[in-house]
Amino acid sequence: MKTKSIQLEGIVIIAGNYGSGKTEISINLAIDRKNAGVAVRVADLDLVNPYFRTREARQLLSKLGIELALPPDELLQADLPILSPLISGMIRQPGQLALIDVGGDDAGATVLATLADAFAGRDYQMLQVVNPLRPNSDTISGCLNIRNEIEAAAKMTISGIVGNANLIDETTPEDIIRGYDFVKQLSDESGLPLHFITASVALLPEINLNRIACPVLAIRRQLVPPWKKADKI
Amino acid sequence: MGKVLMKGNEAIGEAAIRAGCLNYFAYPITPQSEVAEYLSRRLPEAGGVFLQGESEVAVSYMILGAAAVGERVFTTSSSPGISLMSEGISYMVGMELPAVFVNIMRGGPGLGGILPSQADYLQATKGIGHGDCRLLALAPASVQEAAEMVMMAFPLAEKYKNPVIVLGDGLIGQMMEPVEFPDHLATEPPNKDDWAVNGMDTRNSSRRNLLRSLYLDPEVLNQHNLNLRQKYERMKKEEIRFEAYNTETDYKALIVSYGTMSRVCRTAIDQLKAQGLEVGMIRPQTVFPFPEGAIEEAAEKESCEAVASIEMSMGQMVEDVQRSVKGKRPVSWFGKCGGEVPTPEEVIEFVKTIV
Repeated sequence: MKTKSIQLEGIVIIAGNYGSGKTEISINLAIDRKNAGVAVRVADLDLVNPYFRTREARQLLSKLGIELALPPDELLQADLPILSPLISGMIRQPGQLALIDVGGDDAGATVLATLADAFAGRDYQMLQVVNPLRPNSDTISGCLNIRNEIEAAAKMTISGIVGNANLIDETTPEDIIRGYDFVKQLSDESGLPLHFITASVALLPEINLNRIACPVLAIRRQLVPPWKKADKI
Repeated sequence: MGKVLMKGNEAIGEAAIRAGCLNYFAYPITPQSEVAEYLSRRLPEAGGVFLQGESEVAVSYMILGAAAVGERVFTTSSSPGISLMSEGISYMVGMELPAVFVNIMRGGPGLGGILPSQADYLQATKGIGHGDCRLLALAPASVQEAAEMVMMAFPLAEKYKNPVIVLGDGLIGQMMEPVEFPDHLATEPPNKDDWAVNGMDTRNSSRRNLLRSLYLDPEVLNQHNLNLRQKYERMKKEEIRFEAYNTETDYKALIVSYGTMSRVCRTAIDQLKAQGLEVGMIRPQTVFPFPEGAIEEAAEKESCEAVASIEMSMGQMVEDVQRSVKGKRPVSWFGKCGGEVPTPEEVIEFVKTIV
């Protein structure tokens, strides 16, 4: 069974708590939409994480024709909160789809408030990525807390949810189904639409997709430690 | 609590709480700041205290103070921060105080870089502070092992009345892996009334405890250092930990590697096996005391032609490997030290040059 297609356009901000999987989702979502014929641009706005950022996938993304807004090359490994002017430019002219990958928690989302001028009067969607197998987002109240903290720090409103239940290589099909049920409940209680959930491409054939009412984004993992190979795109 | 997905730094913080440590003092530095981030939220929930010091020097003496009154206490830092703590650590060794220090190593010398490194090996194992000063040094290779080693570090520090260091490279702190915690504290903190300056009204003794590292009488200081030496010798007898990989085969080369670097080597060993070349590995889990005997024995295997120390430094552990192998096989070094982790392909290429 083919999964439903993800419908997203304009400015889409990917937010959530630390380690919820925002960057892996941004990379895979960009590729998914690009393959669907959408012109995609990606901004790495993660000013809080020192490792495993969107910028690690810059060669892959640019090879696929996905435009990436990053700090200048010589500052890519700097431990500094560098905000490239390309990003406000991208917000002003988002094209078909501009994905903005922000850092974790309220600390990571604070940077959005500094872009208020660029966002002024523009439509955007801000999605909260939830991995219920992470501490602090394993309860509905925990996720709602994170939502409030991110909204307060970003001075923006979260408009939807992305379910990203996983234990990386140790994820089981049951984890995906339980994770789906969890974000469905979060969606019902918060009134926020569930945009899609994720599952690794290796796990997809084992999942009963009839059980899942929303689109499923297949994840080909790109942010891997040095002893593992990234999934082939 | 089932398996959860955690960043190494978070797991280190959670592990300390589960080891019954409710005192954490620290100063932020990349790549370990998430420990403070995590504990600033989590410790108050658990009834503990997190206090950010004004510098790492200050932190080391906050640790000393809390340990002196008999509290379980720990800190985390990264390379330059550990250098600043080195004075306090030496005083704690001299005063025989238990505590846990975690070093999530970044590039050096000086400010170096923020990417992973193992270049504080010599500092941790031989030069952590002035004087005849040694720390038991545990070296995790996964997030799960980092959590377990932090939990095990507290009772070890108390057993020896000496600080313990957990030595992880930047990846250990930053990567995410599934981790599972035991539900309960494995070891209750022992009674410390016979040495801690925990207040006369809290113990059944009229003896006043005195903690000091100043011994002006040369004979007394000599004896004090001999006592410390005895503890280090006991660590060598009782605390050596290592893991052997693929050593049941007739391997042609032996790799010694620790931390996340050993996981790259493991992938390389699996790929070499598929190509028909057997390579064994000893992974030290304690880098002090060092598994000298295990490495010597593994190097002596008839099939083994050469030994390599593979590390993210310009060749530090290789000195201990050479010492262990005692000239019985050629020992070489391979590694990088700018923050890039050598790839399995680079390890494979190097191994092929020594056999």
